[in-house]
Amino acid sequence: MNSILAKVKSNELVGYGLILPYLIYSLIIWVYPLMWGISIAFKRWNIISTEKTFIGLSNFIQVIHEPLFWIAFKNTLYFMVVFIPLSIFLSLSVALLLNRINFLRSFFASGYLISYVSAGVAYSIVFNLMFSGNGIINTWLSGIGITIPWFSSPKIAMASIAIIVVWKFLGYYSLIFLAGLQSIPKTIYESAEIDGAGRITQFFRITIPLLNPSFTIIIIFAIMLSFNVFTEPYMITGGGPLDSTQTFVMQIYYHTFTNLHAGYGSSFAIIVAAISFAFVFFIRKIVEKDIA
Amino acid sequence: MGRYTFNRQDFRSYEKLLTYLLLSFGLVPMVFPYIWMVLASFKVPAEIFDRFIPTSLTLEHYRMIFLMGSTGSANPFIRALANSLIVSSVTTLSVVIFGAITGYALARLRFRGRSLLNNFILFQMLFPVVLFLIPRFLLVTKLGWINTYQGMIAPFMMSAWAIFLFRQFFRTIPQELIDAARIDGCSELRIIFQVMLPLSKSVTIIVAVFTFMSMWDEFLWYLIVTKDYNLMPLSVLLGLFTKGEYSSYPGIQTAGATLLTIPILIIFFSFRKFFTEGIALSGIKG
Repeated sequence: MNSILAKVKSNELVGYGLILPYLIYSLIIWVYPLMWGISIAFKRWNIISTEKTFIGLSNFIQVIHEPLFWIAFKNTLYFMVVFIPLSIFLSLSVALLLNRINFLRSFFASGYLISYVSAGVAYSIVFNLMFSGNGIINTWLSGIGITIPWFSSPKIAMASIAIIVVWKFLGYYSLIFLAGLQSIPKTIYESAEIDGAGRITQFFRITIPLLNPSFTIIIIFAIMLSFNVFTEPYMITGGGPLDSTQTFVMQIYYHTFTNLHAGYGSSFAIIVAAISFAFVFFIRKIVEKDIA
Repeated sequence: MGRYTFNRQDFRSYEKLLTYLLLSFGLVPMVFPYIWMVLASFKVPAEIFDRFIPTSLTLEHYRMIFLMGSTGSANPFIRALANSLIVSSVTTLSVVIFGAITGYALARLRFRGRSLLNNFILFQMLFPVVLFLIPRFLLVTKLGWINTYQGMIAPFMMSAWAIFLFRQFFRTIPQELIDAARIDGCSELRIIFQVMLPLSKSVTIIVAVFTFMSMWDEFLWYLIVTKDYNLMPLSVLLGLFTKGEYSSYPGIQTAGATLLTIPILIIFFSFRKFFTEGIALSGIKG
């Protein structure tokens, strides 16, 4: 009896021993920074000085009164309005096509995924040049008499950024949809066919509702991504023209690492995180349905 | 010869053909930027913007990247490539090792607080990176790790996502195998690395390739913690040069972009099955 107890005890110790590295790591790199970030958000602090003054909610109030915060908010919404419908429409189309074939399916699946591995800096360079005023895209478009100021017009620059991010994530989202499609039992379609349901009815009554988990996860991924856009506008537009591609992360970067206001940047980050949480929460409430 | 009637079977095969046509057609814009990039990196400057197929080729852009360097060091781009490889590989190794160890403890060992830790890991995954950017920078500064590999790697060494994946998979491995290893006198660490990991090849490769890829792609964190050209990973060096002294040299930019793309494409083509599997996994689990 005693030896069994001792064995259980020693098993517990082994368990603790194995999780210890992760616990310590989390404490140092996750819990501590989180607390520190919250605490400096209530202080006025320039990184290079040692002087920190507690100023209560002043930073937060200042963020909300800053025009660029609202511009970044508006730009993020604009990004989402282009990015989410476009990426869902295209990736669902690709997934539906992939789901219809067997021969060469993995070839096409990885073909569409090829854009996903491209590094942000690399594809930003490439699209910046391809979409530039006299670039290859406009050269071809001018053949039919139009040119589009992709990144130079304040009206459409953010949409252009959204389009190139769609390019990057299209294959990724397609594969999530494809996994969802393949988890729908074939028998459901068969019995629907017997009941005389046409293809369009089947699509809207079976496919779309049963893909709900895929829709939910993709929309959540897409919202979180929208609040984190940085590399593409940093590389291509620098936030311009006329602040039309300023994003939250660019603002946080600017306040903290250019202006060195760590406290202000931190409260900015907390507000942004709260907004993105709220978005995910509400969209999830709207989109997610229990299908099981 | 009888009169030909269009029947259902034909309709099906036409539909198949159309599916393949659409899929092939859609693939063009996915691949085109890569082709354009590689071609542009060999073009003479006058042809980069408006000509797709070059009339003459040049190695000048690659010569600039590999041999020149106005930053004092002989070839900053080669160093940056090496830095990227070092940082990405070390992180990948660390994420796999600690992911497997922690995942194993959570999946197969009983101890008080286990489910609490499980919830903590799921909880961690909900927090956006922006929240940690500034305090982690302050922490790394305090430790004197600005401009060091440790500083670049620190926030990525262990991953809640990797632990979660390993835990899920390790739960499916039969207990008899673990018991047999214990009877043979294996320590828990040997069980993890000589029994569990070899039985979990695909999860291990999935964790490794996705970690490597995200480190290769990382930009913002490296931008914040590296100031020395000799220590910068390729993404940051190329980014800064593109915005700086090479801003009017598209040929050099595309040569740099090609250099940044080739290693990750090699990994993609070697492990493409695991990329597609890994995504399906994250989609189903949610």
